[in-house]
Amino acid sequence: MSDGLNYSFLVKTFFTALSGVPTALMITIVALFIALPLGFMLALTRINRIPVLHRFAQVYVSFVRGTPVIVQIFIIYSSVPLVLTSFFKKFHIETNVYDINPIWYAFIVFSLNTTAILIEVFRSAISTVSKGQLEAAYSVGLTNVQAFRRIIIPQTLVVALPNICTATVNLIKATSLGYAMSLQEITLRAKVAANVGYNYVEAYIDIFLVYLILCSLVEYLFKIYEKRLRKYKAANA
Amino acid sequence: MEKYFNAKYIWESFPLLIPYIKVTFLVAGLSVLFGTLLGFILAAMKLGNSKIAQIIANGYTTALRCTPSIVLLFLVYYGIPKIAENFGVNLSDIDKIIFIVITFSLQFAAAMSEVIRSAYQSIDRGQFEAAVSVGLSNAQAYRRIIFPQAFVVALPNFGNSLLELIKEGSLAYTIGLIDVMGKASLIIDGRFNAHALETYLALSIIYWVISIAIEQLFLKLEKVFSKGKQVINPT
Repeated sequence: MSDGLNYSFLVKTFFTALSGVPTALMITIVALFIALPLGFMLALTRINRIPVLHRFAQVYVSFVRGTPVIVQIFIIYSSVPLVLTSFFKKFHIETNVYDINPIWYAFIVFSLNTTAILIEVFRSAISTVSKGQLEAAYSVGLTNVQAFRRIIIPQTLVVALPNICTATVNLIKATSLGYAMSLQEITLRAKVAANVGYNYVEAYIDIFLVYLILCSLVEYLFKIYEKRLRKYKAANA
Repeated sequence: MEKYFNAKYIWESFPLLIPYIKVTFLVAGLSVLFGTLLGFILAAMKLGNSKIAQIIANGYTTALRCTPSIVLLFLVYYGIPKIAENFGVNLSDIDKIIFIVITFSLQFAAAMSEVIRSAYQSIDRGQFEAAVSVGLSNAQAYRRIIFPQAFVVALPNFGNSLLELIKEGSLAYTIGLIDVMGKASLIIDGRFNAHALETYLALSIIYWVISIAIEQLFLKLEKVFSKGKQVINPT
């Protein structure tokens, strides 16, 4: 069997793996879309020490950061159908929960996961903005929403951006675990292609390359955006 | 097939799972050992004068940071035997744990090289010059002056990387290692896929406790070692 790499398979599977990129990106974008505002809100509850929510956020962050993503996936993947089945039975809805597209589970898992990561990111970022900024904003007559939108959030974003970048890259990497939910993303597609001829090494080289390109690209985009935000900050200062 | 939630199974899972924590720790411990050694080499390459070495070390870190652990794991698991085959070495009956340790050492090394580099750079160059000027040799200056200070700086990041490693280590079950995670999936198979949720909940609690314990340990360690720092800088 030792006849080196199968190059034609290597090239062909590269495009198979590439065809999983939209799925991975979609999960990433949906998760960020949900987690960014939610994470910010919960970070505020932690900073302002809002009684119940503050404790809840603390335990939530600790749990998500303390357990492997794969375990979180399995928990959601095995608990949501249980809840849904009893829910559907109650309201006599004729739907088979096992027909649900696994991408919905992926949305739930990765949104919940990223929210916890971003709570911590925003918490440390917001605490770098001095309280005087908020007071100054109030004193010139801005409302609470205006103050946050125009004064606090832009400054927070500059500080938080490198960490948001790391979180995004980690999220993209974590979508590779979607295979556990039989989600048709990069890893699973290439793996299935490899099953035919046992070309696992080639398949994993392809997967490796796809993630490398994808993550480098995301890091590069964040760097550009960070530069723009920094310019904006310097102009304000 | 019974599909309803029963908390009894959570309790039942604990005694079955707990003995396998030592496998998880074994993998983590070995990976930390080799990963830190490799991390030191990479950090030295990054800090050295050779441009080529810098490019290699930085490229390595970027590549490893962009690779999901599961992909790296399979790449090592399938790739190394194949490479060995070309040299006429048969690795088919080698223990799986070796591939897992290799994978996580490689990954931990990438994280550690950054931790070590940033810790080293956080120490003022003057500290080294002062040490040499009072007559310490280079090795002594590093051992007695630079290392103890860099160690304190590196400690929190080292703790984070270790936590990350233990969590990522759960993926070793995919190639058939029986650690806590592997045992959990065996238990679930044994129950014919019923009560998977309860088993995973038990598993998540175990990981949670381990994480909190390690976090607390590193906070304590940091306090212990930072105390020395205050004595050094009384001015």
